[in-house]
Amino acid sequence: MMVPSTYDGVAAVLALLVLLTEFAMLRAPLLRSQVRLYAFQSLVVTGLATYVAASKHIDELYVLAALSLVLKVVIVPSLILRLLRDADTDLAGSSVLGVASAILIALVVAAFGFFAVGSLHVSSVSLPTSSLAIACAIVLVAFVLIILRSDVVSQAIGFFSLENGVSVASLVVASGLPLIVDIAFLFDLLVAVVVFGVIMRVHHARNATLSTSDFDRLRG
Amino acid sequence: MSTVIVSPYGVQAIQVLTILLGAPLVSGVIAHIEGRFQGRRGPRILQPYYDIAKFFSKETLVTTDSSWVFLVGPIVAFSCYLTVPLLIPVLTTFPLPLGFSGDILGGGFILALAGFSVALSGAESGAPYAQLGSSRAMTFGALIEPTILFVIFAVALITHTDLPYALSATIRSSTSQMVRPSHVFAAVAFFLVVLVDTGRIPVETHSGTLEFGMIDEARTLEHSGPSLALLKWGSTMKQLILYTILINVFVAPWGLAATGKWSSVLLAVAALLGKAMLIGLIFAVIDNLFSKLRLFKITEFIASAFLLAVLSVLVFYVGGG
Repeated sequence: MMVPSTYDGVAAVLALLVLLTEFAMLRAPLLRSQVRLYAFQSLVVTGLATYVAASKHIDELYVLAALSLVLKVVIVPSLILRLLRDADTDLAGSSVLGVASAILIALVVAAFGFFAVGSLHVSSVSLPTSSLAIACAIVLVAFVLIILRSDVVSQAIGFFSLENGVSVASLVVASGLPLIVDIAFLFDLLVAVVVFGVIMRVHHARNATLSTSDFDRLRG
Repeated sequence: MSTVIVSPYGVQAIQVLTILLGAPLVSGVIAHIEGRFQGRRGPRILQPYYDIAKFFSKETLVTTDSSWVFLVGPIVAFSCYLTVPLLIPVLTTFPLPLGFSGDILGGGFILALAGFSVALSGAESGAPYAQLGSSRAMTFGALIEPTILFVIFAVALITHTDLPYALSATIRSSTSQMVRPSHVFAAVAFFLVVLVDTGRIPVETHSGTLEFGMIDEARTLEHSGPSLALLKWGSTMKQLILYTILINVFVAPWGLAATGKWSSVLLAVAALLGKAMLIGLIFAVIDNLFSKLRLFKITEFIASAFLLAVLSVLVFYVGGG
């Protein structure tokens, strides 16, 4: 098998780092640490975008990187942290499974994503093909996080980090995507933040908890 | 003097001597740095040598219940630690004559035999804490095993062999080999394995005296005199052997002797000890940054090491290799 070039290697390591933070979120017991992990993950995605922009001379990506730095690394995490300060809950809702088994399940799911997308042989000019497989794994592990955790914040963070996975995928498939489409994605994220923020506040105000286990009762 | 060529067998003997004589020094430096980090003056750098010498001059006490296994264990372990440096690239870039008598797996088996004989010897003492230590050491040793296997898989995939010399040479060959994801992740996973196997902080406080948190340390509680000296010396050697594999096979295989000249071999000895101390510095920093994990949380730590190793193999297969 061929040795990937230095550029491909570094890019794949960065993409894998995004995947790893996703796994770290599965483990994080505190809501605050989860938000910080999300900020870190967004920072890595920003770094990846900047790296691609600098190496392949795609100037539009600088704008995207700057926007995602401001929005995903600074604004969204600080917003959620602020919401958390009002709802004085520290611990994330207990996961359905223990950490070690959750990680093993996520690993199996990630492996499925790897091979499912890896067998498609999508080629890209800007990033190595493996990054698309990694992006798919990120999205799937984010789903595992949303399914296993039973509190609003973890699920919101899972959803936001899913968007990070999609960002990595869009860097692979279409790094020359018109800027307006990428910005539309980011505003989608903003809408999601508002929606999750409202759910968090209303849910906490009504039930004094962030756990989603109360959602299964229908009330008028 | 500097043009005198050392025969390959001579270099091989020097490899063993470097590990044998340099290991307490590296441990001493690490303990000293740790002391400084904690606001103490720290023990003298040569303290491990004094300790070993002191233990050798004391008598060995054996409980009435234990058999010859109790006494043989430390000797078997020590000879295992003397064997491994023959198989790994300690000083040279070129393979030495006995270097091919075992691959990474072979070296791993010998290290496992050492761990097993120490645990057996501890269990044979009949003392509860020594038995607890032996049992825990074997349990966590078994849990970390899959990670080691996947690291070896990654090495085998990258180099098509599982010889430590081959990976070392591959890493040196180009930058793209250094930053390829499967290598980076295998190296980080191996770093975590070293953390577990040398009994450092998130897993174990190596200098603590509280038995309930002990794993490796507890095994040797009943030993005394020369057997304890061999165990202490052996554990510093094991640490330096693992550091050497981490440095010369995975992370920084530079500064090795390319020829058998005296000067370059001596330079390689100095470089190895210097690099080992740098790695030790990193471990000391980690020691100060984190607190010890609760015993039942160690599986989570091991799971993360396993995750890294598996990702390294997976990404190779997806073609990002």
